[in-house]
Amino acid sequence: MKRKTGSSFAWGLLLMAACCLWPLQCPAIDNSECFDCHGDTGLTKESTDNILNTEITESLYVDEDRFDRSVHNLNGITCVDCHSDIEELNYDNEVPHKKNLKKVCCASCHEQAGEDFKNSVHMKLRTKGITMTCYACHGYHYVRQMEGASVTERENSICLKCHNPYQFHAWLPSRSSHFANVECVVCHAPDVPRHINLKIYDLVSNTFYDSNRLFNILGVDFDQLMKTVDKDGNGIIDPDEFETLVLVLKQKNIHPVFHAELVADISSIAHHVNRGTAQKTCRKCHLANSPYFKTVEVVFNRDDGTVDSYRVDRGVLETYYVNHFYLLGGTRMKLMDRIGLLILAGGACAVGLHLTARILTIPLRRKNEEESS
Amino acid sequence: MRSESIDNRLRLQQGAKTGMTIAEPDRSPENKGASTMAHAHEHLVYIHPAPVRVWHWINAFGFVLLILTGFQIRYAEILHIMPLRQAISLHNYVGFVVIADYFLWLVYYIGSGRVRIYIPDLRQVVTMAVRQAVYYGYGYFIGRPNPHEMTPDNKFNAMQQQAYLAIMFIFLPAQMVTGVLLWKIKGYSEYINLLGGIKVVDTIHVLLFFFFTAFLLIHCYLATLGHTPLAHFKAMVTGYEEAGDREETTDKH
Repeated sequence: MKRKTGSSFAWGLLLMAACCLWPLQCPAIDNSECFDCHGDTGLTKESTDNILNTEITESLYVDEDRFDRSVHNLNGITCVDCHSDIEELNYDNEVPHKKNLKKVCCASCHEQAGEDFKNSVHMKLRTKGITMTCYACHGYHYVRQMEGASVTERENSICLKCHNPYQFHAWLPSRSSHFANVECVVCHAPDVPRHINLKIYDLVSNTFYDSNRLFNILGVDFDQLMKTVDKDGNGIIDPDEFETLVLVLKQKNIHPVFHAELVADISSIAHHVNRGTAQKTCRKCHLANSPYFKTVEVVFNRDDGTVDSYRVDRGVLETYYVNHFYLLGGTRMKLMDRIGLLILAGGACAVGLHLTARILTIPLRRKNEEESS
Repeated sequence: MRSESIDNRLRLQQGAKTGMTIAEPDRSPENKGASTMAHAHEHLVYIHPAPVRVWHWINAFGFVLLILTGFQIRYAEILHIMPLRQAISLHNYVGFVVIADYFLWLVYYIGSGRVRIYIPDLRQVVTMAVRQAVYYGYGYFIGRPNPHEMTPDNKFNAMQQQAYLAIMFIFLPAQMVTGVLLWKIKGYSEYINLLGGIKVVDTIHVLLFFFFTAFLLIHCYLATLGHTPLAHFKAMVTGYEEAGDREETTDKH
């Protein structure tokens, strides 16, 4: 009985605690309430342009579908988590919350990024009276996972908003190839870790195979595929195992073209962009065993922008399986060097042997000549 | 004999214009003491017209620069002849000079109809090539005459003819095309993909690079097989080869 009474008491305490904590666990304001108004494409407000100092009409519309796919929503961040000065909605007013909300401070959550941003040319712009906000580059409502993003997507969504790379890289040979295959911060943020992303490209449709499409065709999931491929189970696909991957794909009539790009890790150190510190030494990269492409990953994009990725031995870059990527000097095939050495040695030997015989037979030719004359 | 060569050349240049390319030997009294062997060399034949010589030497210096910069580009961690960026830049500029030079050669040879000197006679080519190979590998060493006699219309022996036909119409164009594709990888990505990817294009370019390097070595050596080691080099400057010079018949070097 005592035991029963004790049990009831415990349940009572638990219920009280749950009741107390319930309001804290639930968002004060649901996103759907925000979208009731901000889902209207015609919702605008009159504002003043900060730079031009002119009156402008600012859209307050937020695309709910795009927001739903954003990295913040996927991680359960709600509207009022960022717009934290909205505590309640009063529908009696024309605007149910304060008209002028405080600016969102991204560094409240992204503390390290905020710290790293301080050591950047973009932060130093403030001394010139220009404030670079986080969302000037990253946007705000539609920030996507960038791990699986291509170089073009990464650059288009960030650096190329302001910078025209063709204005400042006259010194760079093969500019368009660099811009297409190397992310800006790989050179401009010298401290950032880098790796090569290998993605399967369909030359017919000019698109990358995403995870869904690929694994539907293969009839296995990512883990099953990699277990089949990584036979020694060391977590790295070496060139021989890579051959297995290619074979598995070919058996399903997928003729893979591995598209390789040199990208930066998703790291806050990527903010360390400073004037005069960009990597301009060609031989940092165009060198056998360059640390820039020591890490190679084969990646399959998921719909939400995240990736299924697997480490690959960098030796794979030197094989003909990765036919559409060649880093001059860096990923040269050792086999070609050996063949080249044989060709040169063959030529040198032919000359050397003939020359030796030519010298040794001089007396013979003299003798024959004297006899004939 | 050397002192008369300028007079001979003047007459030969006139002769070349009228189609007569073999000069008469100088029978002047001061040359009566010349040796018998010298008589074998006394005919000068206008073998290498000016456009060919211009093409040849631009091509030669271009090749040397392309090979040096090519090694620097491919083996940047070992070689330090020049910075990689300059090597790439120089390689590109010289590459285009060599391409333009190739078209000088092509226009001259096609336009003049002399391109036929590159076309082997299929009925004799195998026999002649074997004979030439036997000469290089054996006959030369015992002082036998070169089975091929150089004339303006039959400049190359059978082995040269095949080698140069392949080089000028297959290997060099392939090297030029792959070089241009590698110059603008992004711009020509469609063509590169059609050929199987950049690594395929690069492989062709690199293999031909090694081939041309070895070729240059052998070519320079074979050019020393004239009656003196520098005879063919001089001929490629002046345009005149010595007729009756069956290359190595008098070589004592």
